[in-house]
Amino acid sequence: MTIELKGRIDSNNASQVEKSILAQLEGKSREAVVLDAAALEYISSAGLRIILRIKKNCPDLRIVNVNSEVYEILDMTGFTEMMTVEKAYRVVTLDGCEEIGRGANGSIYRIDQDNVIKVYNNADALADIQHEREVAKLALILGIPTAISYDVVRVGDSYGSVFELLNARSFSKILAEEPEKMDFCVQEYVKMLKKIHETQVPAGKLPDMKETALSWARFMQDHLPGEAGKKLLALIEAVPHDDHMIHGDYHTKNLMLQNDEVLIIDMDTLAVGHPIFELASMFNSLVGYSELDHETIKRFQGFDYETGRRFWHRSLSAYLGTNCETKIREVEDKARVLGYTRMIRRSIRRKGLENEKTRAEIALWKEELLALLEKTDTLLFSLNELEIDAEEDRLQEVQAFVDEHLEAADCPVKAQMQIAVAVEEIFVNIASYAYVPEKGKAKVRVEVSDEPVSVTITFVDHGIPYDPVAREDPDVTLPASQRDIGGLGIFMTKQIMDDVAYEYKDGQNILTLKKRL
Amino acid sequence: MEQHLKIDLHMHSTVSDGTDTPEEILARVREAGIALFAVTDHDAVKAGRIIPPLLAEGDPAFLTGAEFSCRDEEGKYHILGYGYDPDAEPIRKLVETGHGLRMNKVQARLDFLKKEFGFAFPEKELNWLFAQDNPGKPHIANLMVRLGYAETKEQAIKDFINRIHFRNEYVRPEQAIQSILGGGGIPVLAHPSYGDGDQLILGAEMEKRLQRLMEFGLQGVEAFYSGFTPRIRGELLSFAERLGLYVTAGSDYHGKNKLIDLGDTGLDEAAAWPEGLRRFLNDTEKKQKKHEI
Repeated sequence: MTIELKGRIDSNNASQVEKSILAQLEGKSREAVVLDAAALEYISSAGLRIILRIKKNCPDLRIVNVNSEVYEILDMTGFTEMMTVEKAYRVVTLDGCEEIGRGANGSIYRIDQDNVIKVYNNADALADIQHEREVAKLALILGIPTAISYDVVRVGDSYGSVFELLNARSFSKILAEEPEKMDFCVQEYVKMLKKIHETQVPAGKLPDMKETALSWARFMQDHLPGEAGKKLLALIEAVPHDDHMIHGDYHTKNLMLQNDEVLIIDMDTLAVGHPIFELASMFNSLVGYSELDHETIKRFQGFDYETGRRFWHRSLSAYLGTNCETKIREVEDKARVLGYTRMIRRSIRRKGLENEKTRAEIALWKEELLALLEKTDTLLFSLNELEIDAEEDRLQEVQAFVDEHLEAADCPVKAQMQIAVAVEEIFVNIASYAYVPEKGKAKVRVEVSDEPVSVTITFVDHGIPYDPVAREDPDVTLPASQRDIGGLGIFMTKQIMDDVAYEYKDGQNILTLKKRL
Repeated sequence: MEQHLKIDLHMHSTVSDGTDTPEEILARVREAGIALFAVTDHDAVKAGRIIPPLLAEGDPAFLTGAEFSCRDEEGKYHILGYGYDPDAEPIRKLVETGHGLRMNKVQARLDFLKKEFGFAFPEKELNWLFAQDNPGKPHIANLMVRLGYAETKEQAIKDFINRIHFRNEYVRPEQAIQSILGGGGIPVLAHPSYGDGDQLILGAEMEKRLQRLMEFGLQGVEAFYSGFTPRIRGELLSFAERLGLYVTAGSDYHGKNKLIDLGDTGLDEAAAWPEGLRRFLNDTEKKQKKHEI
């Protein structure tokens, strides 16, 4: 039930207005009464009292399309605390505006040099806008650089939220226009991704991506052979709960470079969960959706299929911290299990099976999915690289990280213990000397290769250049009292490992240790 | 949890612009289970004479009241007076002044309507009008509709009656406050945040207004009022506490003229009452006893 308020309401016409409202309410349900204030210019306290009286009779009363002067009055007097009061929204047209981003729930347009607007796909988007504002705020509080909308406007039949985004370019645009910046894009894309995945989210603040993935898998039960369907469900069920953040729609149109700062936008899909869910949606947007029709990515991201594939591959490699193709392929396959599941479900639900192209796509994805399910035993994976504060009390974490990989490779206990000695020596060395008196980070990368079975551990820091290998080995034949105190640790490391190599590159100390197992 | 009695200290009878006679008001107050009430007609104290003789054993407690319209260079005010002696000279004079100004205004409006629009009012109707305790715009408007000069009461006011602007002749707030005090009563600012009913006065402006009226002798604020939101009420209660003012509660019931329920003041009978209200009730009770003796 909507009642229009018009012109001015003050003591001259208040009782008349009240009578007319009561006449309109006569015999109607008192639920969901809405006062439409689009044509209301002014309201005095005589008018406020009417609203208060209607509110007493209609507890769910809402006032919509309130102009800013009236809104200010309602806000000052505490009406906005007592009932839902919605402002009238500025109307914006998008004629001639460039589309700069696109997400699951809407598209982003630049309206002028400083501002962009996200237009939501569905007409009744106010709740979505509110949700996105809240999660964006949460992300910002948790340290993720993002933009928060400052205004809501009307765009055609839908709503848009307005963000300030100065001189920002999306990574899609950079990749399309300056392919030579691929390295930079991969590096920043992965850096942000890690930052998101390292962010712990307080319980209950964001939806659990595992639940969403389970709902896809349940949907798929009707579209997959019985065994395959069951396996898909079991694989997802076996993914442990994870309270770290995932973006949910992490592709290059949602990553913006604003001056020198990288921002992530389109936060409405924010969730918590295991990173495999993120990798699945990354695979889809960069590769999966365009596997059958390579033009798809061009329309969506602006760069070609090959660029998309390369960007995905290099990002995954950097994210995992390995150049090992087997490992990359392995994790990619896990991501594809979830990726195809999601795409098949989405296509069936959105377009049904009516057109030929969709049918062909679904057939391709299903074939791939069945083959993958055949050979996949778990969706879990581990990163090969750990980035950590170079401080002595983090040593345990480094040891645990290295051990995890060694155990997975069935490394003999003796070798594992020897390696632990070497790892301690090198890490403590970096923690003690690399950044003094400042602090810094160290990266520890562990890769196990099959032929011959061997492990490679790489330490990277960007501290003071120092080559431990160049140091002359101490003369261990001398009596203890005459020996040089330093240098023993690196000597032991050299003894334990089969190969120790140092390199200074791009401002980084890179120390590589190799041992055959 | 405390459990208090129901009170309503702001209502209008046919003595001013309400639609219930004082007798009818009493009946409704009994029905609503109100334990303490005051009839606060505009610039009139007649209900305060009519009602006490009607009160029987077990009836709600009654407090004399009135609502005086005032103005000065700073704005418009409605000032409530409570617990005064209706026969005291200052009160009688104040009512007379108010009534006189009102009658002059009615006459001026009638003259204007006749001169400007040629609306004539028959003798019989005029007699009725002037026999009213407190005739005003609504009464003239009703007459105009009855005589066919206007379609509705609202149109009569908007298109005709409001066309005349008076030279300022009014009761000043200090006059009303001093007279109420002189009659042994307590002056209280009615619906403070709404001025004389159509304004919005909040924050520092409200505080300034209260401090100025306190210099004239104002002693209380009507912080509980049917038209206030919790926010406005909260602001007034904090001013009352800080400035040491009495707190009162009133609905502004007008019978059928306005859709306000008797007893609707926003005061929660189950919650703790502010000190200013408890003090007001204590002090008026003492006053009432003194008058009765």
